[in-house]
Amino acid sequence: MMRRWLTAVGCMIVGCQLMACVAHTQPQEFFQLTAESSSNRAMQTRMFETKDEAELLSASATVLQDIGFQVEESVREVGFLRAAKERSAREYGQDINRFLVLLFSSGASIVGVPPIVIPVDLHQKIAASVVIRPLNSESTRQEVRVAFYRVVWKGAGAAGRQQIPPGEQRMEMLRDPVMYQAFFSKLSKAVFLEPFAL
Amino acid sequence: MRQTIRGCVAIAMLVFVEGCVAPQPSQDLLAPTEAQMKIRSVQTRTFEVKDRQIAMRAVIAALQDLGFIIERANEALGLVSAARFAEPNYYDVVGVTVTVRPQADGHMMIRANAIYNNKPIEDPKVYQNFFATLERSLFVAKD
Repeated sequence: MMRRWLTAVGCMIVGCQLMACVAHTQPQEFFQLTAESSSNRAMQTRMFETKDEAELLSASATVLQDIGFQVEESVREVGFLRAAKERSAREYGQDINRFLVLLFSSGASIVGVPPIVIPVDLHQKIAASVVIRPLNSESTRQEVRVAFYRVVWKGAGAAGRQQIPPGEQRMEMLRDPVMYQAFFSKLSKAVFLEPFAL
Repeated sequence: MRQTIRGCVAIAMLVFVEGCVAPQPSQDLLAPTEAQMKIRSVQTRTFEVKDRQIAMRAVIAALQDLGFIIERANEALGLVSAARFAEPNYYDVVGVTVTVRPQADGHMMIRANAIYNNKPIEDPKVYQNFFATLERSLFVAKD
């Protein structure tokens, strides 16, 4: 009886472990257009009535410089530009959470278990990738598409006796429409042209 | 007893000496395998486009539509590399490198290599999906 129980428990543990191996999203899906693709595209894209693609590209670089970015890569022939800036990622909310968890878990230190210290976000790199392309064969209309994203590095922490080393990374696309609107309004002021959306 | 010990020492020495011999690389280490040829045909497709720049711009637009961030581009060599985060899990990255090469017959050969967390993706479906999006993007660019 006991042995049967043990086998069942063993099977469950192995099953759980195998389940953890299955990726949540298959790479296949990353090459498929999704429902959000078109709305993201609309948010990231504006069109300008101009023939001067190079002027738009250099104006984009200036706008990004104005908001503290450093240009990392540029290819004029295909209208591409990538810029980045590094900033602190400290947030009060995370520090308050960290303190509260530390406070509650410090009760366990009576029995010799060290308190829990949650790692907080320390540093981030925000980057922007800009692509400009002509929309018609006479290239009188240009499309500007920008994507913002960031990588966040976490600090050290501890869960009981287990130390969590610093440097864990988290990556995300930035999908705040206000950020994109601000970029395009600055760009339109820089080139003296009115942008229009899709 | 002494003989047994001697035997053991001899065997131990042999194992040691054998460990010193570097494993020889086999002759076919760099020879293309059948699997490699197959994956190359899956990753490659030719399109009826004359201008390389138009093809490159279409590749960039397709990758952007798929949510990729363009990381690097080289017009002279026809290279585009891009990546995207495997949302919603924030630790995984999908990377892709696309090369655009004009062919003698006026067609354009486009090859895509995709990786998922530094491991190559060999699923043909992935590349079919990519080329389907690219085809649409090229069609829009032609208009």
